[in-house]
Amino acid sequence: MARTYRVVLRNRDHACLEVGEEETILAGAEARGFRLPVGCRYGGCITCAAKLIDGKVVQPKGTALKRRQVKAGYILLCVARPRQDCTLEVGVESHDALFVNPFAVRGE
Amino acid sequence: MSSSPAPAPADACPGPGYASPQEAIRAPREKVVYTICLYEGTGVEEPDYLATIDVDPESPTFSQVIARTEMPIIGDELHHMGWNACSSCHGDGSMARRYLIIPGVRTTNFYIVDTATDPRRPTLYKTIDGEEIKRKTNLSAPHTVHCLGSDIIVSMLGDAEGNAPGGFLHLNRDFEIVGRWENDISGMRYNYDFWYQPRHNMMVSSEWAAPNTFLPGFDLEDVGKGKYGQRLHFWDFAGKRIERTIDLGEEGLIPLETRFHHDPDSTHGFVGAALSSNIFHWYKDAAGEVQVEKVIDVPSIEVESFPVPMPGLITDILLSMDDRFLYFSNWLHGDLRQYDISDPSHPVLTGQVWIGGLLGKAPEVNGHRIAGAPQMIQLSLDGKRLYVTTSLFSTWDNQFYPEMKGAGGAMVRVDCDAENGGMTLDPDFFIDFGKEPKGPTRAHETRYPGGDCSSDIWV
Ligand code: FES
Repeated sequence: MARTYRVVLRNRDHACLEVGEEETILAGAEARGFRLPVGCRYGGCITCAAKLIDGKVVQPKGTALKRRQVKAGYILLCVARPRQDCTLEVGVESHDALFVNPFAVRGE
Repeated sequence: MSSSPAPAPADACPGPGYASPQEAIRAPREKVVYTICLYEGTGVEEPDYLATIDVDPESPTFSQVIARTEMPIIGDELHHMGWNACSSCHGDGSMARRYLIIPGVRTTNFYIVDTATDPRRPTLYKTIDGEEIKRKTNLSAPHTVHCLGSDIIVSMLGDAEGNAPGGFLHLNRDFEIVGRWENDISGMRYNYDFWYQPRHNMMVSSEWAAPNTFLPGFDLEDVGKGKYGQRLHFWDFAGKRIERTIDLGEEGLIPLETRFHHDPDSTHGFVGAALSSNIFHWYKDAAGEVQVEKVIDVPSIEVESFPVPMPGLITDILLSMDDRFLYFSNWLHGDLRQYDISDPSHPVLTGQVWIGGLLGKAPEVNGHRIAGAPQMIQLSLDGKRLYVTTSLFSTWDNQFYPEMKGAGGAMVRVDCDAENGGMTLDPDFFIDFGKEPKGPTRAHETRYPGGDCSSDIWV
């Protein structure tokens, strides 16, 4: 039987979702009636980015997240599947470190 | 009002649009315009919509959004749009300029919106599912929509997985998927805008990047890795294959909007290279060879505390219907410019206005704070009124103008002197998209119901 994990949306009143290991976190959240940012649904546009505060997920290699964004803790909910219980910060409020003006920062 | 319609003049053509650019210039003045409003990256999880804006100074609802045509789902990122029919089928009485074709860049869904039944309250007529388009054509991320006779052609920036180079989608007049338009995509690395000039069997296409590169935002590292375009492709239009590719080099990084002269007998046209912030002019010389030359250079500006000089970022360009003036926006610097291009090789600056921008030259317009800068521009057929919106693309907005997601976009009107040149900000017109009922939206492309300076071609 497929395992399920507990995924807590910290900035949605700590809502706790049960998400199967083969299910995307976005699908799990939408099934519970949450409307979260979404676009392409294949990992290509980062509209659905969220901050992984705690826990572990798997996502396909070659998503559109840049190295800098991965280092800042972002995952893509439309393709991320839980591998442990997780705590997330979701929605545009979690995107504070997602975008930078490339002319205003030094390259890494 | 008399009950029977006035008889049509004997020489009236029954199809849509105008017999010529000269006739288009004399068309009646617009009463409403349609503008894309989007919620991506704002924190408001609501569908994007088409706003109908009252632009008739005689109307009690002048300078207001009077209708909002909502899409069925969230997350499309509506971007550009085109008509089902334009002056290219002026001679075809079975066609009418009736439907706006509005694709979503992020989902590849296409929405067909009926603007004719009630031009003040457009309605959703049909949806083409993005997954079906991906499955049948292996294309995604729609951009420019043009019609040619009863065919509709759309530039698609990626394959079904968001990789370059994409291709062109062909729809028929009933909005059914015919398949891919091009016969051969060889030579194209990326795709973006395109326009054509059938009398010369010419089509020009430009290059942005793969959806997987530009959708997440702009990264200078990607430019270094060659993940952004710098080429112009000249097509054998009838043969539907690339005839010649011209590498614009360092001066031509990210060539975006392509604009032919409206005069169907001309081979001249212009393209704005966004990142290099240069305008290039192309034409066919006496021997029939395509020539491309840089004609305008907007220098980057050193900004204190910015380690990298800031380019103007030319994101949209337009030609007036009489082919006399070229307009473009510098989305980072914040200015909008008008050049006299009577001599296309030697444009002369004739007007400039500032609207928002990162240089801080015009933080307010008509008493409203601007979070953003001039971006999409659309000129009336008579060349006198330019409607300007401020959003580029949700992820890029969030990089360069993060405050737009809370403050919303704006639309301003710039009055243009079509005789002597010159531009002024219209003090009586302003749309604050920060005040929309469901929350602040970004505002992107605008279309005029009777056609505008980037909607129609003549065959
Ligand atoms: S919705 Fe596009 S990456 Fe998740």
